[in-house]
Amino acid sequence: MIFIVKQLIYAFLSTIGFGVLFNIPRNCIVKSGIVGTLGWLVYLQIIEFTTSTIAGAFWGAITVGIIGEVFARVFKKPVTVFIVPGIVPLVPGAGMYYTMLAITEKRFIDAANLGSETLFIAASIASGIIISSSLSKIYKKQGVRPE
Amino acid sequence: MTKRNKIKKLVVMAMYAGKIMLKNGAETYRVEDTIIRICKSRNIKYVEAFVTPTGIFLSVEYKNEIFTYVQRIKTIKIDLNKIALVNDFSRKFVGSNMSVEKAMKDLKNIDNANTYKKYIVLFFSGIASGFFTLLFGGSYMDFFASFISGALLVLAVQYLNKLNVTYFLSNLIGGSIVTSISILFSLSGFDFNMDKIIIGAIMPLVPGVAITNAIRDSMSGEFLSGVSRGVEAIIIASAIAFGVGITLKFY
Repeated sequence: MIFIVKQLIYAFLSTIGFGVLFNIPRNCIVKSGIVGTLGWLVYLQIIEFTTSTIAGAFWGAITVGIIGEVFARVFKKPVTVFIVPGIVPLVPGAGMYYTMLAITEKRFIDAANLGSETLFIAASIASGIIISSSLSKIYKKQGVRPE
Repeated sequence: MTKRNKIKKLVVMAMYAGKIMLKNGAETYRVEDTIIRICKSRNIKYVEAFVTPTGIFLSVEYKNEIFTYVQRIKTIKIDLNKIALVNDFSRKFVGSNMSVEKAMKDLKNIDNANTYKKYIVLFFSGIASGFFTLLFGGSYMDFFASFISGALLVLAVQYLNKLNVTYFLSNLIGGSIVTSISILFSLSGFDFNMDKIIIGAIMPLVPGVAITNAIRDSMSGEFLSGVSRGVEAIIIASAIAFGVGITLKFY
């Protein structure tokens, strides 16, 4: 329990840090932090159930995407303001680093394993965002009357 | 002023709004939407905008005359606040009777707006790097090392961008700086985890905006910009990896 609480605090603060780095509006900083934290929570829970980081990143990205679209609608801001900092904790920076480390140490089989996992995580984040933004487009088409 | 000149001014203003959005990292379909919405709100029937990540093409017809404007965008930096501001502005412009002169003044203010002071950005990039290290199981000692190298990394990248270094080289140097600092920390004799420091401190370089925009543009049918932004993300990622790999070899 303490582990999860700590992880969520870390995810919140690092998302906020990235938000400032990407110059998001002042009144959206905490909101984007919430998006990132919820994405990370889902990521951790899915990993506990399935032991697969790829599935975790997929569902985490879907969470970030859907909550980001909802926040964008509610607070009338471009959706990237919430999604860009929100997905950063899921991005496989560690996988990228370990792949490079394996290559420099000539452990090529490890490099292929780690590299393909990294690529799949990136692809699953992408498909998570794709799915949530297509869902929001369906909703938008039904919600807005034709002009 | 004749009506013809008015239309010209409106088109220039719409182009300026689009330029601000695109050069601060907006998705291309959002730029097209904004430009078309601004033009149509003042009774122009035919507007066609074609936006790629490196340029805007805009054609407007008024009384059997066609005005065409081309705008080349060279530098792309990331400032999501300005995109949000132009978004608000276009909503206000379309919904009210604002004059084009006033609109132009507002846009200039947005273009020159400064969101965060430099030292605040440095502090928060340190925070982002440090907590990322903790997130991936680093110790509190690693947090400080990562905080310092993350902040130094962003400082260095800002300086390199001022020198107009290509983004491939600046990312490569960035990855190399982070790795060298982490190696120095781990050689200092204290109990540092070099891996965790590098993983955290490298994160400010990650092309999050390029990845997100590539996906969102492709989903809106903008395959040209989807592909070009995707390639940008891949090149940045491999530049970081090269930078880290080259420096690790010395260790």
